Amino acid sequence: MQRLTTILKYGYWVIAALLFAGGVVLVFAWTPTEATMGPVQKIFYLHLPAAINTFLALMVCFIASVGYLWKRQQQFDDLALAGAKVGVLLCSIVLLTGMLWSRSAWGTWWTWSPRLTFSLVLWLLYTVYLVIRPSIEGQQRRAMISAVYGIVAFVDVPLVYLSVKLMPDIHPTSIALAPAMQWTLGYWFLPITMINIGLLAVAYRLHRREALLARPRTAIAVRRSTFHRPAATGGAA
Amino acid sequence: MRRTVDDSPATLAIREGTVTAGSQQAIAPESAASKTSAVRALSLGKHIDDRAILDEIDLDVPMGRFVALVGPNGAGKSTLLHAIATLSPATHGSLALFGQTVHRWAGAALRARIGMIGHQSMLYRDLTALENLTLFGRLYGVDAPGERAAELLEKVRLSDRAHDPPKAFSRGMVQRLSIARALMHNPDLLLADEPFAGLDVPSTRNVEALLAQLHGEGKTIILTNHEIAQSLRLSEQVVVLRGGRVVLDRPASQVDVDAVTREVMA
Amino acid sequence: MSRAWRQLLLLIGKDLRIEARSRQTMGLVTVLGVLILVVLGLGLGPGKVPSGPSGTVLLWVAYLFGGVLCFEKTMAVERQDGTLAGLMLAPVDRGVLFAAKLITNLLLIAALAVVITAVGIVLLQFDLSGVLGPFVLITAMSLLGFAAVGTLFAAAVSSTRLQGGLLALVIFPICLPLIIASTQLMVRLAERPDEVGAGGYLILVAFDAIYLVMSWLVFELLLEP
Repeated sequence: MQRLTTILKYGYWVIAALLFAGGVVLVFAWTPTEATMGPVQKIFYLHLPAAINTFLALMVCFIASVGYLWKRQQQFDDLALAGAKVGVLLCSIVLLTGMLWSRSAWGTWWTWSPRLTFSLVLWLLYTVYLVIRPSIEGQQRRAMISAVYGIVAFVDVPLVYLSVKLMPDIHPTSIALAPAMQWTLGYWFLPITMINIGLLAVAYRLHRREALLARPRTAIAVRRSTFHRPAATGGAA
Repeated sequence: MRRTVDDSPATLAIREGTVTAGSQQAIAPESAASKTSAVRALSLGKHIDDRAILDEIDLDVPMGRFVALVGPNGAGKSTLLHAIATLSPATHGSLALFGQTVHRWAGAALRARIGMIGHQSMLYRDLTALENLTLFGRLYGVDAPGERAAELLEKVRLSDRAHDPPKAFSRGMVQRLSIARALMHNPDLLLADEPFAGLDVPSTRNVEALLAQLHGEGKTIILTNHEIAQSLRLSEQVVVLRGGRVVLDRPASQVDVDAVTREVMA
Repeated sequence: MSRAWRQLLLLIGKDLRIEARSRQTMGLVTVLGVLILVVLGLGLGPGKVPSGPSGTVLLWVAYLFGGVLCFEKTMAVERQDGTLAGLMLAPVDRGVLFAAKLITNLLLIAALAVVITAVGIVLLQFDLSGVLGPFVLITAMSLLGFAAVGTLFAAAVSSTRLQGGLLALVIFPICLPLIIASTQLMVRLAERPDEVGAGGYLILVAFDAIYLVMSWLVFELLLEP
């Protein structure tokens, strides 16, 4: 059983790596280069899947945060943290690829366009999540405050999206994609999503191990809290 | 003026020593049901970050009882008091106050019957003594809070400082004002977390007299204390907490200082 | 129901009275705001300050930093002598505690905003004639959302040992939609008044509604006596 899971784990990453490599080959060997922008346009095949997966990872963080508030179990906090970490990583990729695009298309590394600004704010929201955690003492308190922030931040995302739309979009970007390009774009979702899920799993397992190791030697077996379920305790009235 | 311990089955059980040191037996609900207890905790536990601050606490405090909770530092005395006050809910077990089960966030009705004195004064240092008292009185919905405040200031002998803010008070005076605050709504249960800490001898005597007087009026009092001899002198029931567990639970008349000290120091 | 209102007024009155007596918060916060404006004005240099309503974005910097300090202080009052525990012990609904702190914070930052705006008009030569009404509305709506988020997280952060900067760190990214919406609205009012549609206002309303409700619901989870 142990060997099987190890094989599966390695297999998973091998497949993801192969798909990624295959994607790179595909992009440079098969997919036609876009006329106006040249080779830099190819970064879009990484950019969009990364953006969608950022949202997925942050959604995981949100759901896990809600889960923590509901169940008060450390596993949820560990998952939320994993979601935030992977989300920030992917969001960094989105930002960097966006900036590369901007540099190549309009000559500047940064424009306060809605899309770039949105990515930046998203990145900030969740980097703050990661940064404040070490300042909060006590595992339960940290998990609670993080969960509240995780929920508040996620609810903020649509509001950020709407508000940046108010900003002037000097460079509207709409690229017509030839069928071959659409295929390539669709293909790239495979390795990126696999990497997303894989990293989430790795981070989650790491946090679980850390949480279990952090328990003091006098720790007793963790029992689910029963205090708020009056029916279960009975006999005290 | 010590009230005699009544003869309810629960107290009989204590007197006969059925609840022995280290015992995990709960006082069976049926046998103690003849009188509603002020506090009844069954297997009460509080786990924070996988550590058991309180573990399997069984405690039965009948109405009108004066209980002293003693134990070494870190034994969980303050935590237990906070759990009983419904300030920091426990995580395991059950707790009933005045016969009503306490859920995670206890209702206002229960809280209105509890008064607490903690390590901190719970007083606003920029408001006068009178303003502090009337504020809490109004929050509790007390009738004629101004008069009640004046009456309590008289009781704790701070009438002459009614218009001064607590920041100008000595520690003993702050403590007395804090007791007045806790009494504004005439609670049935008074919880005192180390009420004598940092007090000089005359102030200690003052507070002791006050507590004895309140006990005489029929209030249930649970206090935590470091001083064992003092605790035995003041209280009717002594509970020793060590490592989050009850290791001794006896009427004060049945134990002596050495026995209790041994349990505390073990 | 009426008991809740009574308690609410009591608590707000208590906070305002303490503020009037101790004068800890308003003085600090106002001076900080003015200092920020001075630094901005000096930094930008004479003549470089964006004139007209679009310059009001600079005021936001002052509101934000002053506001965060204000939220920290009003919560710190309850930490000082454990009075928060006293309030939690009393039969006061946690929602009422939140509302009281929120309204206190609102009143204080409203006062701050008035002073800062006045100073801003003088030092940075803003010309708000013609857009004063919308400016007040936009600022009021933004400060409401800001205070809701600030009150919520001030409760969370005040119980942690390390406070400095933590609250600002948490509040600013969340309030960015407010800042973006209100500054964009002001810029449009200044430059393209006919393009100001309902969109920006709706975002402010949505933000306020969502965060008022959410903060009110979640507040008690973050309270620690």
